[in-house]
Amino acid sequence: MTEGTDLVTLPPEAAGGELVPAGDHQPVAAGEHSHPGPRQYVLIAVVLVILTAVEVATSYLEGTVNSNLLIAALGIMAAIKFFLVAAWYMHMKQDSSMFRRLFVSGIILASIVYGIVFFFFSSTVLKS
Amino acid sequence: MAQAVVTAGSSAVAPHGGDHSHDTNTGVSNSKLGIWLFLSSEALFFGAFISTYFLYRGRDAQFLKGPTPDKLLNIPFTSVTSFVLLMSSLTMVLALAAIQRGDHRRLRIWLLATALFGATFIGGQVYEFTEFYRKGLHLGTNMFGTTFFVLTGLHGAHVTIGIIWLLLLWGRSMQGRLPAEKSEAIEIAGLYWHFVDVVWIFIFTAIYLIPTH
Repeated sequence: MTEGTDLVTLPPEAAGGELVPAGDHQPVAAGEHSHPGPRQYVLIAVVLVILTAVEVATSYLEGTVNSNLLIAALGIMAAIKFFLVAAWYMHMKQDSSMFRRLFVSGIILASIVYGIVFFFFSSTVLKS
Repeated sequence: MAQAVVTAGSSAVAPHGGDHSHDTNTGVSNSKLGIWLFLSSEALFFGAFISTYFLYRGRDAQFLKGPTPDKLLNIPFTSVTSFVLLMSSLTMVLALAAIQRGDHRRLRIWLLATALFGATFIGGQVYEFTEFYRKGLHLGTNMFGTTFFVLTGLHGAHVTIGIIWLLLLWGRSMQGRLPAEKSEAIEIAGLYWHFVDVVWIFIFTAIYLIPTH
């Protein structure tokens, strides 16, 4: 047998549709798993719609509940929706963790940079 | 030393039906790595405009000279367009599932549905912009006008680019130039589309739902 990788074909039910390393080395698509099916996608969409409806209803509570509580609730719901779309529709849960790390790094960097900008700008330039 | 990789099905495709054996230095598809890097930079891009919006919102005494947001924003209308954009994410991911199954007819249906939902969202945005303009809010009227039009306008531009991208993919599929092995092309367009949707989740909350005072 020559150097390199040989491919052995099995029926889908035998391997569960996933790449399985048979040697010492990881297959190149390591870390990736099967994507969810249409049924799960529809279920996620239903949850997203319900969350959006709750968000909109919550915004009408302005004046009746503490505004900080309102902002926190809306922020949490937006974060949950973000997580659902990123994890399931963008397949961050199933794809290589390298993509997840890249994307999360961008978001963390943005949060730090604009957090600093926000803090300094509002406490100096825009201070009224 | 020889090594065997056992695969399901008849060929050595990635688990989700893609065409990528990822024979790269990183072990992952270069195209997907590229789009994730781009999306990461886009998080910084939109972060700048969302932060600027928050920085200036509610500073009526200093900057708000024209119509106020509470008199302009139509939450029920924008809720409907937000719902439409959310549904476009579902149709996009169903298009990906279809091509991974080799179902090209459904792929084309879901791609067109996604583009149509996107176009509906843009139509809603054009209507909203026109209404605001008619009521006296322009780009330079006040800080709300500036931050609102720039933030939502840039998002709308991203959606428009996404619609053109989807229609190009639909055209390729119609010509038979988008076989199941090329499903990564749909996956990459989908990642862009979902990102645009995710950004709107935050814009919608920031501008329309969070109380100004």
